[in-house]
Amino acid sequence: MITAEQKPMDEIRGMLAPYKRVLALGCGSCVAECAAGGEKETAMLASALRMAARIHDEEVLIHEKTVDRQCVEEFILPLDDMIGEYDAVLSLGCGAGVQAVSEMYQEIPIIPALNTEFLGETKDQGYWVENCLGCGDCMLYYFGGICPLARCSKQILNGPCGGSVDGRCEVNPDIPCAWQLIIDRLTQFGELHRLEEIYPPKNWARKQGSGPRKIIREDQQT
Amino acid sequence: MTDSRKRTLALFYCRNVPESSETHRQAIEKAHSEQIRLFPLPCSGRLEPVHLLRALEEMADAAYLITCPEGVCRYFEGNLRAKRRVERTREMILSIGLEPERVGIVIGSKEVPKTLAQHAAEIFDKISQMGPSPALKRPANETFACEKRRDWL
Repeated sequence: MITAEQKPMDEIRGMLAPYKRVLALGCGSCVAECAAGGEKETAMLASALRMAARIHDEEVLIHEKTVDRQCVEEFILPLDDMIGEYDAVLSLGCGAGVQAVSEMYQEIPIIPALNTEFLGETKDQGYWVENCLGCGDCMLYYFGGICPLARCSKQILNGPCGGSVDGRCEVNPDIPCAWQLIIDRLTQFGELHRLEEIYPPKNWARKQGSGPRKIIREDQQT
Repeated sequence: MTDSRKRTLALFYCRNVPESSETHRQAIEKAHSEQIRLFPLPCSGRLEPVHLLRALEEMADAAYLITCPEGVCRYFEGNLRAKRRVERTREMILSIGLEPERVGIVIGSKEVPKTLAQHAAEIFDKISQMGPSPALKRPANETFACEKRRDWL
Protein backbone atom coordinates (compact mmCIF):
# COMPACT_ATOMS: atom_id res chain seq x y z
CA MET A 1 0.00 0.00 0.00
CA ILE A 2 1.06 3.59 -0.59
CA THR A 3 1.85 5.41 2.65
CA ALA A 4 1.65 9.13 3.28
CA GLU A 5 1.73 11.68 6.06
CA GLN A 6 -0.08 14.96 6.44
CA LYS A 7 1.95 18.05 5.61
CA PRO A 8 2.55 20.59 8.38
CA MET A 9 -0.50 22.78 9.01
CA ASP A 10 1.40 25.99 8.20
CA GLU A 11 2.38 24.66 4.79
CA ILE A 12 -1.20 23.62 4.01
CA ARG A 13 -2.59 26.97 5.15
CA GLY A 14 0.05 28.80 3.12
CA MET A 15 -0.94 26.94 -0.06
CA LEU A 16 -4.64 27.58 0.59
CA ALA A 17 -4.20 31.27 1.37
CA PRO A 18 -5.40 32.65 -2.01
CA TYR A 19 -8.58 30.55 -2.06
CA LYS A 20 -11.96 31.28 -0.49
CA ARG A 21 -13.94 28.14 -1.34
CA VAL A 22 -12.11 24.90 -0.77
CA LEU A 23 -13.11 21.26 -1.04
CA ALA A 24 -11.09 18.94 1.23
CA LEU A 25 -11.08 15.69 -0.70
CA GLY A 26 -10.20 12.45 1.07
CA CYS A 27 -9.36 9.09 -0.44
CA GLY A 28 -10.74 5.85 1.00
CA SER A 29 -7.96 3.55 -0.18
CA CYS A 30 -4.25 3.38 0.76
CA VAL A 31 -4.07 6.72 2.57
CA ALA A 32 -7.12 5.75 4.63
CA GLU A 33 -5.33 2.54 5.64
CA CYS A 34 -2.33 4.50 6.85
CA ALA A 35 -4.57 7.01 8.64
CA ALA A 36 -3.40 10.00 6.61
CA GLY A 37 -6.17 10.86 4.15
CA GLY A 38 -9.29 8.78 4.78
CA GLU A 39 -12.71 10.04 5.76
CA LYS A 40 -11.75 10.55 9.40
CA GLU A 41 -8.54 12.41 8.62
CA THR A 42 -10.34 14.56 6.05
CA ALA A 43 -12.96 15.47 8.64
CA MET A 44 -10.21 16.33 11.13
CA LEU A 45 -8.24 18.48 8.73
CA ALA A 46 -11.32 20.29 7.42
CA SER A 47 -12.46 20.96 10.96
CA ALA A 48 -9.03 22.26 11.98
CA LEU A 49 -8.83 24.49 8.89
CA ARG A 50 -12.26 25.98 9.54
CA MET A 51 -11.25 26.75 13.12
CA ALA A 52 -7.93 28.19 11.98
CA ALA A 53 -9.80 30.48 9.58
CA ARG A 54 -11.99 31.79 12.40
CA ILE A 55 -9.01 32.29 14.71
CA HIS A 56 -7.24 34.34 12.02
CA ASP A 57 -10.38 36.22 10.92
CA GLU A 58 -10.36 34.75 7.45
CA GLU A 59 -13.53 34.13 5.51
CA VAL A 60 -13.10 30.74 3.97
CA LEU A 61 -15.62 28.09 3.10
CA ILE A 62 -14.30 24.56 3.53
CA HIS A 63 -16.40 21.55 2.65
CA GLU A 64 -15.30 17.94 2.82
CA LYS A 65 -15.86 14.82 0.83
CA THR A 66 -14.16 11.46 0.54
CA VAL A 67 -14.16 9.31 -2.58
CA ASP A 68 -13.30 5.63 -2.51
CA ARG A 69 -10.25 6.07 -4.72
CA GLN A 70 -8.73 9.25 -6.11
CA CYS A 71 -6.45 7.53 -8.61
CA VAL A 72 -9.27 6.00 -10.69
CA GLU A 73 -11.36 8.17 -13.00
CA GLU A 74 -14.63 6.36 -12.30
CA PHE A 75 -14.38 7.16 -8.61
CA ILE A 76 -13.63 10.84 -9.27
CA LEU A 77 -16.54 11.38 -11.67
CA PRO A 78 -19.11 12.04 -8.92
CA LEU A 79 -17.25 15.31 -8.27
CA ASP A 80 -18.52 16.63 -11.62
CA ASP A 81 -21.66 18.08 -10.07
CA MET A 82 -19.95 19.91 -7.26
CA ILE A 83 -16.42 20.82 -8.34
CA GLY A 84 -17.58 24.11 -9.93
CA GLU A 85 -18.50 25.49 -6.51
CA TYR A 86 -14.88 25.64 -5.40
CA ASP A 87 -11.79 27.76 -6.05
CA ALA A 88 -9.46 24.91 -5.08
CA VAL A 89 -9.41 21.28 -3.99
CA LEU A 90 -7.25 20.20 -1.08
CA SER A 91 -6.50 16.59 -1.89
CA LEU A 92 -5.71 14.10 0.84
CA GLY A 93 -4.82 11.52 -1.76
CA CYS A 94 -1.35 10.26 -2.61
CA GLY A 95 0.61 11.96 -5.38
CA ALA A 96 -1.10 9.72 -7.93
CA GLY A 97 -4.51 10.74 -6.62
CA VAL A 98 -3.69 14.44 -6.65
CA GLN A 99 -2.57 14.23 -10.27
CA ALA A 100 -5.50 12.09 -11.37
CA VAL A 101 -7.97 14.63 -9.94
CA SER A 102 -5.91 17.43 -11.44
CA GLU A 103 -6.06 15.86 -14.88
CA MET A 104 -9.85 15.50 -14.63
CA TYR A 105 -10.42 19.10 -13.53
CA GLN A 106 -7.74 21.17 -15.19
CA GLU A 107 -9.50 24.47 -14.54
CA ILE A 108 -9.11 24.19 -10.76
CA PRO A 109 -5.94 23.95 -8.65
CA ILE A 110 -5.57 20.63 -6.81
CA ILE A 111 -3.41 21.15 -3.72
CA PRO A 112 -1.69 18.26 -1.96
CA ALA A 113 -2.33 17.97 1.77
CA LEU A 114 -0.08 14.93 2.16
CA ASN A 115 3.51 13.98 1.56
CA THR A 116 3.47 10.63 -0.22
CA GLU A 117 6.10 8.44 1.37
CA PHE A 118 6.64 4.85 0.27
CA LEU A 119 5.23 1.46 -0.65
CA GLY A 120 4.59 0.21 2.84
CA GLU A 121 3.98 -2.96 4.77
CA THR A 122 1.81 -2.67 7.88
CA LYS A 123 3.93 -4.12 10.69
CA ASP A 124 1.55 -3.20 13.48
CA GLN A 125 -1.20 -0.73 14.20
CA GLY A 126 0.22 2.69 13.38
CA TYR A 127 3.53 1.24 12.17
CA TRP A 128 4.47 1.00 8.50
CA VAL A 129 7.81 0.11 6.95
CA GLU A 130 9.31 0.27 3.49
CA ASN A 131 10.28 -3.21 2.36
CA CYS A 132 9.94 -2.69 -1.39
CA LEU A 133 11.25 0.06 -3.66
CA GLY A 134 9.15 -0.99 -6.64
CA CYS A 135 12.30 -1.35 -8.73
CA GLY A 136 10.55 -3.10 -11.61
CA ASP A 137 12.89 -6.11 -11.52
CA CYS A 138 12.16 -8.17 -8.41
CA MET A 139 15.12 -10.16 -7.04
CA LEU A 140 13.50 -11.45 -3.86
CA TYR A 141 13.91 -15.05 -5.01
CA TYR A 142 17.70 -14.78 -4.97
CA PHE A 143 17.80 -13.21 -1.53
CA GLY A 144 15.46 -15.47 0.42
CA GLY A 145 12.56 -13.02 0.28
CA ILE A 146 14.50 -10.14 1.85
CA CYS A 147 15.14 -7.16 -0.42
CA PRO A 148 18.65 -5.76 0.05
CA LEU A 149 17.77 -2.66 -1.95
CA ALA A 150 14.94 -1.64 0.34
CA ARG A 151 16.19 -3.01 3.63
CA CYS A 152 19.98 -2.67 3.54
CA SER A 153 21.10 0.88 4.38
CA LYS A 154 23.89 0.56 1.82
CA GLN A 155 21.67 -1.09 -0.81
CA ILE A 156 24.36 -3.61 -1.65
CA LEU A 157 23.51 -6.56 -3.88
CA ASN A 158 26.66 -8.50 -3.00
CA GLY A 159 26.79 -8.42 0.77
CA PRO A 160 27.20 -8.51 3.62
CA CYS A 161 29.33 -5.42 4.18
CA GLY A 162 30.79 -6.88 7.37
CA GLY A 163 29.87 -3.94 9.56
CA SER A 164 26.82 -5.29 11.37
CA VAL A 165 26.96 -5.90 15.11
CA ASP A 166 24.78 -8.57 16.74
CA GLY A 167 22.63 -8.67 13.63
CA ARG A 168 21.96 -4.92 13.70
CA CYS A 169 22.84 -2.50 10.90
CA GLU A 170 25.95 -0.39 11.55
CA VAL A 171 24.42 2.62 9.77
CA ASN A 172 21.14 2.47 11.66
CA PRO A 173 21.17 0.13 14.68
CA ASP A 174 17.39 0.46 14.92
CA ILE A 175 17.00 -1.93 12.01
CA PRO A 176 18.19 -5.51 11.58
CA CYS A 177 21.01 -6.12 9.12
CA ALA A 178 19.22 -7.11 5.90
CA TRP A 179 22.16 -9.31 4.91
CA GLN A 180 22.05 -11.15 8.22
CA LEU A 181 18.36 -11.83 7.51
CA ILE A 182 19.16 -12.96 3.96
CA ILE A 183 21.85 -15.37 5.11
CA ASP A 184 19.63 -16.75 7.90
CA ARG A 185 16.77 -17.34 5.47
CA LEU A 186 18.87 -18.93 2.74
CA THR A 187 20.58 -21.15 5.34
CA GLN A 188 17.17 -22.21 6.61
CA PHE A 189 16.15 -23.33 3.11
CA GLY A 190 19.58 -24.84 2.28
CA GLU A 191 20.00 -22.29 -0.52
CA LEU A 192 23.03 -20.35 0.68
CA HIS A 193 24.84 -21.24 -2.54
CA ARG A 194 22.71 -18.62 -4.33
CA LEU A 195 25.04 -16.04 -2.86
CA GLU A 196 28.01 -17.51 -4.70
CA GLU A 197 26.76 -15.69 -7.76
CA ILE A 198 28.00 -12.13 -8.25
CA TYR A 199 25.08 -9.86 -9.02
CA PRO A 200 25.84 -7.04 -11.45
CA PRO A 201 24.84 -3.46 -10.68
CA LYS A 202 21.11 -2.97 -10.73
CA ASN A 203 19.57 -1.69 -13.94
CA TRP A 204 17.72 1.29 -12.53
CA ALA A 205 16.32 2.19 -15.95
CA ARG A 206 13.42 -0.08 -15.06
CA LYS A 207 12.55 2.15 -12.12
CA GLN A 208 13.39 5.67 -13.18
CA GLY A 209 15.33 7.74 -15.69
CA SER A 210 13.16 6.81 -18.68
CA GLY A 211 10.16 8.96 -17.84
CA PRO A 212 7.08 7.76 -16.00
CA ARG A 213 6.64 4.02 -16.04
CA LYS A 214 3.46 2.49 -17.36
CA ILE A 215 1.86 -0.90 -17.66
CA ILE A 216 -0.36 -1.61 -20.63
CA ARG A 217 -2.46 -4.77 -20.58
CA GLU A 218 -4.51 -5.07 -23.72
CA ASP A 219 -6.45 -8.03 -22.33
CA GLN A 220 -7.73 -5.74 -19.57
CA GLN A 221 -8.71 -2.92 -21.87
CA THR A 222 -12.12 -2.32 -23.38
CA MET B 1 -22.65 36.25 36.50
CA THR B 2 -19.06 36.66 35.39
CA ASP B 3 -18.00 36.13 31.81
CA SER B 4 -15.97 33.07 32.82
CA ARG B 5 -19.20 31.22 33.69
CA LYS B 6 -20.37 31.36 30.10
CA ARG B 7 -17.89 28.84 28.80
CA THR B 8 -19.15 25.61 27.31
CA LEU B 9 -17.50 22.28 28.00
CA ALA B 10 -17.91 19.16 25.85
CA LEU B 11 -17.22 16.27 28.15
CA PHE B 12 -16.78 12.77 26.81
CA TYR B 13 -16.69 9.98 29.35
CA CYS B 14 -16.41 6.25 29.66
CA ARG B 15 -19.67 4.71 30.89
CA ASN B 16 -17.74 2.94 33.64
CA VAL B 17 -17.07 6.21 35.43
CA PRO B 18 -18.99 6.05 38.78
CA GLU B 19 -22.51 7.49 38.73
CA SER B 20 -22.60 8.11 35.01
CA SER B 21 -26.02 6.72 34.12
CA GLU B 22 -28.37 8.57 31.78
CA THR B 23 -30.20 10.01 34.78
CA HIS B 24 -26.93 11.37 36.15
CA ARG B 25 -25.99 12.79 32.78
CA GLN B 26 -29.28 14.67 32.46
CA ALA B 27 -29.04 15.97 36.02
CA ILE B 28 -25.51 17.33 35.49
CA GLU B 29 -26.42 19.04 32.22
CA LYS B 30 -29.50 20.59 33.83
CA ALA B 31 -27.55 21.76 36.87
CA HIS B 32 -25.04 23.55 34.62
CA SER B 33 -27.66 25.10 32.33
CA GLU B 34 -26.27 22.95 29.52
CA GLN B 35 -22.91 24.69 29.69
CA ILE B 36 -21.59 21.19 30.18
CA ARG B 37 -22.54 18.85 27.33
CA LEU B 38 -21.95 15.22 28.18
CA PHE B 39 -21.20 12.48 25.68
CA PRO B 40 -21.13 8.91 27.01
CA LEU B 41 -18.83 6.38 25.35
CA PRO B 42 -18.88 2.59 25.74
CA CYS B 43 -15.13 2.87 26.35
CA SER B 44 -12.83 5.89 26.22
CA GLY B 45 -10.90 4.02 23.50
CA ARG B 46 -13.86 4.74 21.22
CA LEU B 47 -12.93 8.42 21.17
CA GLU B 48 -11.40 9.76 17.99
CA PRO B 49 -9.63 13.12 17.59
CA VAL B 50 -12.39 14.19 15.22
CA HIS B 51 -14.92 14.02 18.08
CA LEU B 52 -12.94 16.55 20.08
CA LEU B 53 -12.30 18.75 17.05
CA ARG B 54 -15.96 18.79 16.02
CA ALA B 55 -16.94 19.74 19.56
CA LEU B 56 -14.46 22.63 19.55
CA GLU B 57 -15.59 23.72 16.12
CA GLU B 58 -19.30 23.66 16.75
CA MET B 59 -20.09 24.39 20.36
CA ALA B 60 -17.40 24.04 23.02
CA ASP B 61 -14.71 26.28 24.47
CA ALA B 62 -12.99 23.12 25.66
CA ALA B 63 -13.37 19.39 25.08
CA TYR B 64 -12.30 16.86 27.69
CA LEU B 65 -12.38 13.13 28.23
CA ILE B 66 -12.74 11.15 31.45
CA THR B 67 -11.38 7.61 31.42
CA CYS B 68 -11.20 4.68 33.81
CA PRO B 69 -8.07 4.43 35.97
CA GLU B 70 -5.07 2.96 34.17
CA GLY B 71 -5.00 -0.82 34.39
CA VAL B 72 -8.73 -1.25 34.94
CA CYS B 73 -10.10 -0.62 31.45
CA ARG B 74 -12.73 -3.26 30.74
CA TYR B 75 -11.28 -3.55 27.24
CA PHE B 76 -7.71 -3.64 28.53
CA GLU B 77 -6.18 -0.71 26.69
CA GLY B 78 -9.00 1.64 25.69
CA ASN B 79 -7.88 4.37 28.07
CA LEU B 80 -4.27 4.09 26.90
CA ARG B 81 -5.34 4.59 23.30
CA ALA B 82 -7.55 7.49 24.32
CA LYS B 83 -4.58 9.17 25.97
CA ARG B 84 -2.57 9.09 22.73
CA ARG B 85 -5.52 10.38 20.71
CA VAL B 86 -6.05 13.28 23.08
CA GLU B 87 -2.35 14.09 22.75
CA ARG B 88 -2.64 14.03 18.95
CA THR B 89 -5.62 16.39 19.11
CA ARG B 90 -3.70 18.77 21.36
CA GLU B 91 -0.87 18.86 18.82
CA MET B 92 -3.37 19.55 16.06
CA ILE B 93 -5.09 22.46 17.79
CA LEU B 94 -1.72 23.91 18.75
CA SER B 95 -0.80 23.89 15.06
CA ILE B 96 -3.77 26.16 14.26
CA GLY B 97 -3.05 28.57 17.10
CA LEU B 98 -5.47 27.29 19.74
CA GLU B 99 -4.28 26.66 23.30
CA PRO B 100 -3.67 22.92 23.80
CA GLU B 101 -5.31 23.19 27.24
CA ARG B 102 -8.65 23.42 25.50
CA VAL B 103 -8.41 19.66 25.05
CA GLY B 104 -7.62 17.37 27.94
CA ILE B 105 -7.94 14.00 29.56
CA VAL B 106 -8.73 13.14 33.15
CA ILE B 107 -7.77 9.64 34.19
CA GLY B 108 -9.84 8.32 37.07
CA SER B 109 -8.19 7.24 40.28
CA LYS B 110 -8.47 3.72 41.68
CA GLU B 111 -7.77 4.89 45.22
CA VAL B 112 -10.06 7.93 45.29
CA PRO B 113 -12.77 7.33 42.68
CA LYS B 114 -14.82 10.37 41.74
CA THR B 115 -18.31 10.51 40.31
CA LEU B 116 -19.08 11.97 36.92
CA ALA B 117 -20.60 15.04 38.60
CA GLN B 118 -17.42 15.65 40.63
CA HIS B 119 -15.20 15.30 37.58
CA ALA B 120 -17.48 17.54 35.52
CA ALA B 121 -17.49 20.29 38.16
CA GLU B 122 -13.69 20.21 38.53
CA ILE B 123 -13.02 20.31 34.80
CA PHE B 124 -15.63 23.02 34.28
CA ASP B 125 -13.99 25.16 36.99
CA LYS B 126 -10.64 24.69 35.28
CA ILE B 127 -11.82 25.61 31.80
CA SER B 128 -13.83 28.55 33.10
CA GLN B 129 -10.52 30.28 33.80
CA MET B 130 -9.78 30.35 30.07
CA GLY B 131 -10.99 33.04 27.71
CA PRO B 132 -13.69 32.28 25.14
CA SER B 133 -12.49 30.09 22.31
CA PRO B 134 -11.56 32.08 19.19
CA ALA B 135 -12.43 28.95 17.20
CA LEU B 136 -16.12 29.55 17.98
CA LYS B 137 -16.06 33.02 16.47
CA ARG B 138 -18.24 32.16 13.51
CA PRO B 139 -18.48 34.72 10.66
CA ALA B 140 -22.03 35.65 9.74
CA ASN B 141 -21.89 34.14 6.26
CA GLU B 142 -20.10 30.92 7.20
CA THR B 143 -21.93 27.79 6.20
CA PHE B 144 -21.22 24.20 6.99
CA ALA B 145 -22.06 21.58 4.48
CA CYS B 146 -20.43 18.21 4.40
CA GLU B 147 -21.75 16.02 1.68
CA LYS B 148 -21.46 13.04 3.95
CA ARG B 149 -21.85 14.52 7.40
CA ARG B 150 -21.41 11.60 9.73
CA ASP B 151 -22.46 11.23 13.25
CA TRP B 152 -18.97 10.53 14.51
CA LEU B 153 -20.30 8.96 17.68
